[in-house]
Amino acid sequence: MKEVKLFLGPQHPGMHGNYSVHMYVDGDIIKKAYPLPGMLHRGFEKLMERRLWMGNIALIPRICVVEPDINEMVYAMGIEKLGNIEVPERAHWIRMIILELARIAIHLMSFGGIGGPTGLYTASYWSIADRDLILDIFEKITGARVYHMYIVAGGVRKDLPEGIEEEIIGLLDYLEKRLPEYEELILKNPIIHARLKDNILLPEEVVWELGVTGIGMRSAVDKEYDIRKVKPYARYDQVEFDVPFGPYSDAYTRVSYKPIEIRQSIRIIRQSLEKMPKEGPVRVKISTGSALRWTVPAGMVYPVIESARGEYGYLMVSDGSEMPYRIAVRGASYPQGLLGVEKYLPGHRIDDASLWMDTMGVCAPEIDR
Amino acid sequence: MKIISNNSKTDKEDMRKIWEKIGDYFRANSIWMKWYCTGCGAIELPPTMTSRFDMERLGMGPMATPRQADVLLITGYLSSKTLRRIIYSYEQMQDPKYVVGFGSCTINGGIYYDSYATMKQLDNYLPVDLYIAGCMPRPEAVMNGFDTLISMIKKGEANGWKHYKENYDWYSRNQLHSLGEVYVKDEFHE
Amino acid sequence: MNSMNSIYENLKSKFNILGVDYPDDMQMAIDLDEKDIHTVIVYLKSIGYTQLSMLTCVDWIKEGVFQLVYIVFNWDNGIHILVRTKLDRENPKFRTIVEIYPGAQFYERDVHEFFGVEFEGNEISYKNLFLELWDDMPPMRKDFDPQKYSDEKYAAREYKSKFISEVGGEK
Repeated sequence: MKEVKLFLGPQHPGMHGNYSVHMYVDGDIIKKAYPLPGMLHRGFEKLMERRLWMGNIALIPRICVVEPDINEMVYAMGIEKLGNIEVPERAHWIRMIILELARIAIHLMSFGGIGGPTGLYTASYWSIADRDLILDIFEKITGARVYHMYIVAGGVRKDLPEGIEEEIIGLLDYLEKRLPEYEELILKNPIIHARLKDNILLPEEVVWELGVTGIGMRSAVDKEYDIRKVKPYARYDQVEFDVPFGPYSDAYTRVSYKPIEIRQSIRIIRQSLEKMPKEGPVRVKISTGSALRWTVPAGMVYPVIESARGEYGYLMVSDGSEMPYRIAVRGASYPQGLLGVEKYLPGHRIDDASLWMDTMGVCAPEIDR
Repeated sequence: MKIISNNSKTDKEDMRKIWEKIGDYFRANSIWMKWYCTGCGAIELPPTMTSRFDMERLGMGPMATPRQADVLLITGYLSSKTLRRIIYSYEQMQDPKYVVGFGSCTINGGIYYDSYATMKQLDNYLPVDLYIAGCMPRPEAVMNGFDTLISMIKKGEANGWKHYKENYDWYSRNQLHSLGEVYVKDEFHE
Repeated sequence: MNSMNSIYENLKSKFNILGVDYPDDMQMAIDLDEKDIHTVIVYLKSIGYTQLSMLTCVDWIKEGVFQLVYIVFNWDNGIHILVRTKLDRENPKFRTIVEIYPGAQFYERDVHEFFGVEFEGNEISYKNLFLELWDDMPPMRKDFDPQKYSDEKYAAREYKSKFISEVGGEK
């Protein structure tokens, strides 16, 4: 038998982002696979050491392109913990609304991602158009579509604009109406059943071996392992929501959890809009002296939040100066994107490789940093 | 390092032959964009491609292989590792071919001006026909940029590919200076 | 906080802990001598800290040490433990933990690439992963100057006019 070398990416329609996998195939079975990250490497961790604490706010959203808000939240949480800053009550709730809207947006985007490898392009066309409605809301709140720079240390940059609550509720109503259609289109589609059911399994041992978190972990270990439940940040302990979990993780289960998570996010946003204080400050002044050159007390802290792909955190080290001493990024897809590809992609078929990347939730920019 | 301007044609006179004009007319109305997400600007391409903004209205569509594509989009920051792949892809593309640089990172390095991994000026390495400013450009700006590209092709102004052939030594020298070696060695993991 | 104290007391009774810090209410950082790292990590894994969240390195150039930080996480009680140790900066060498946490393989490769710390027993980590044809010192070390490297390698755009002086700002 002759082994042939095949490249999946970086220039490949089935590859999401600038990422590459080198595969040795025999027939159409992958025998060996090597991940090749680094095409998106910008040296963020070094650049962050060279910027002021303030200047980093513009830099960090760019670490994860599809879901930028988690970076802002982790960074803000880290500074607040190091500096013992109490965030105003209203800001906590606004942050939750932003984070959950972002979670809905990335889940919709990943429906679009499933369209390419399976050939079900309708899914991409629908979900990316619906995601754009969320970006419109973001634009009204923050002024930007993708990189918001909205969640800052000490609260949020500015208050919600007037009348945005009705618009958010209108959007949620619309999405709730659309979700059954998505389920009809995607989850009940025979193409999806044929390609995803009992394919790309993720057993519990592999979860622990690699350190996979997020949907992949919850669908395999049958426990509610979600950072929002295990160690709540913001005000997640004051809202009611469920996390989908189960004992059997194939590609189909992982995709089918996404609409459930969207429903729960909608539930969280509705409760937040109801429970949040209607007025009050949204940002505390954390600086003494100059507005831009503030300092953060020395220390080392590891703030974590639950992103759409799992545990996302920074190790933040401050030496008390105007710039961070060291910030290390734990990308949520680091375990499955590197070791997972190398160990567990072999054995699958070539055409399942990009489905593997998509349903495991591999996000190239946060691996490369 | 001296910078050679792309717009070497200063006179207004249209030097194209009649069949070239006809060819350019048809090229401008059917553009295949190469499907390569090189940086963060690519996140605004799905909305541009799909139902919200729908660039197929302009006669543009994505194309999976470099050999059949007309436009190479450099969507944002360009790391040295990506640049090697992009040079490979660009040289595989058939003439005529166009390069569009997205965002401030391709223009002057943008927010990554002091990064050890990213290029600061794309037109040192590849002939850029058009830059779309912004970080990142909105879908409207992308559509507008494509519209400009189409009218440039119609007028015969998008001549970056000719420029690349004429000044290949200069481009090649710049590429070697920044990359050390353009040849991709992907055997490092074995 | 109570549970964290009991964990600390438990660890202290078994191992020689050089220092402890509580950066957050669900986090504990312990400093260890480098020879104790493996035993402590094996013990932590056996009592429920089944996930290695991260392994990274901090360059304390003034003290002349690299600080390795192993972050382990217990999903059942939600506690992160930061296990820290210091290595000599001149000849940074350590033993791998791949046998304990297989997921550490690429973190070790990462640390080797960006700091130059060698992990014995994980030979694959000596190959570069992110940087291709890298020709300088490991870039995350504090004495590496990315601006200088970037200026040498990548030509910057030259602007014909100085915009700042034109709008009447600084000269």
